[in-house]
Amino acid sequence: MKDALKHYWEGYLCIRLKGFSPERFLNLCMAKQIVIWDLKYQDGGYQFLISVKDYRRVRPLVRKAQVRLRILGRYGLPFFLYRNRKRKLFAAGILSFFLVLFLMSQFIWDISIEGNYHFTDDVLLRFLDQQDIRYGRKKAGIDCDSLEESIRSQYPDIIWVSARISGTRLMIKVKENEVMGVIPDKDDAPRDLVAQKPGRITHMVIRRGKALVAPGDEVEAGEVLVRGAVPIYNDAEELIREQFVRADGDIYAVTGESYQESVPFLSVKRADTGRKRRGLRLRLGGLSFLWMMPSWGENPWEITAGTSQVTVLGDFYLPIWVDRIQAKEYQTYEYFLTNDQLEQEKQRIHQKKIENLTEKGVQILENSVKIVKEGSGWQIRGEFLIEEPIGIGRELVPEDTAGVPEDTAEQPENIAGQPGM
Amino acid sequence: MFEQMKIAAADNLKLPKDVVLGEVLVSFVGRSCVIVENYRGILIYDDRTVKLQAKHCKLQFCGKRLHIDYYNHDEMKISGWIQSMEFGE
Repeated sequence: MKDALKHYWEGYLCIRLKGFSPERFLNLCMAKQIVIWDLKYQDGGYQFLISVKDYRRVRPLVRKAQVRLRILGRYGLPFFLYRNRKRKLFAAGILSFFLVLFLMSQFIWDISIEGNYHFTDDVLLRFLDQQDIRYGRKKAGIDCDSLEESIRSQYPDIIWVSARISGTRLMIKVKENEVMGVIPDKDDAPRDLVAQKPGRITHMVIRRGKALVAPGDEVEAGEVLVRGAVPIYNDAEELIREQFVRADGDIYAVTGESYQESVPFLSVKRADTGRKRRGLRLRLGGLSFLWMMPSWGENPWEITAGTSQVTVLGDFYLPIWVDRIQAKEYQTYEYFLTNDQLEQEKQRIHQKKIENLTEKGVQILENSVKIVKEGSGWQIRGEFLIEEPIGIGRELVPEDTAGVPEDTAEQPENIAGQPGM
Repeated sequence: MFEQMKIAAADNLKLPKDVVLGEVLVSFVGRSCVIVENYRGILIYDDRTVKLQAKHCKLQFCGKRLHIDYYNHDEMKISGWIQSMEFGE
């Protein structure tokens, strides 16, 4: 490769060799360290390649070996330039290509961010934009160290940042703090546990508060299950006060769940006609060039495009984007659902509901589904009997919380000030 | 006499003979390529035969479409369809 480039740079000739003693000529060249390559025997003569510099040295050897040389071709940069010496615009084009390439290489044309999970690319790109770092920014003005510092100070949850410029690409790697930074404050406000929905209690575990229901009880939505006000009695079994606590526990109940979904008699289906169009769009800054056949017919087209940025040698990104566009023609038609299709649709909807309930962690005891014809379509009605936790916290109302808070209950002066003592 | 001493020394000291004695070194890559080192000159070359002069012998490669990729003072690379190689005096 290196030799090939050197030969191209210096220029080389294709020579035809004939004469009395060609082998002697080849040996003389070897002795004079004249480099000959691609030597082949052809039509009673020899053909080989030799550099221009060495060709100038072979004249005495030609006489000595009594051979004749004929130039068949001239190759390499010097001959290329000589042949195109009058094509000034061509030369100007080549020069301007390299000039534009050089100028473009002075700017940032791609920003890649890696390692971010909590902070999205958009968030970080917006911050970079505020720091005046955006696509098209000159590379020379970017200080990677101060950029790293500013990202770290702006986002304390980012514990490590690395910013570097490779080609025309600004590469930012971040490491986020995976350990929770702040421990949430524990809420100690007094509360009751009330039923979220009606049901029959199956089992319960009370950690704090006074249970007002027992397994087997039927409860209504909003009914208090665990009271946050715990009564304190004296030895004579007289109520002296109520201790307000944050009621806590797991109360499971069997509840009912139902849903209803409509399926129209007519269903719409999409079918591809098989006609396709392909196109290419070139985006260069604010300019856009589209090469694509126009659409024909009355049917709609589905258009998708994949975008890629033009790169030269890996990280050398250019401000040119290429969209490869694909368009498919399709048409829609309506059809009546058959019994089988209706059954499949019913199963699909019901299965989805079951999956949703299972994801919530509830236990399904019974389930049923039926199809009812109604109005302009079918109604799919499903019912579930499930066992689920139904306790939900509800803050104690102000008149209830007028009692002694748990933390200060043991202080005599506060107790004395409480009403109802 | 001196040559025999050099051979004995190379044998006893286990030195490479191509370096000490200037023996020709031939490396084949399959049947399509051969690299010859330590040769002295080209005796005959056409598309069916390449005959080379080494220090102590002559080498003849026979084949079809024989082609010299490059050659210099140290080595020569011949490619083509090589059918045989023969040593001569």
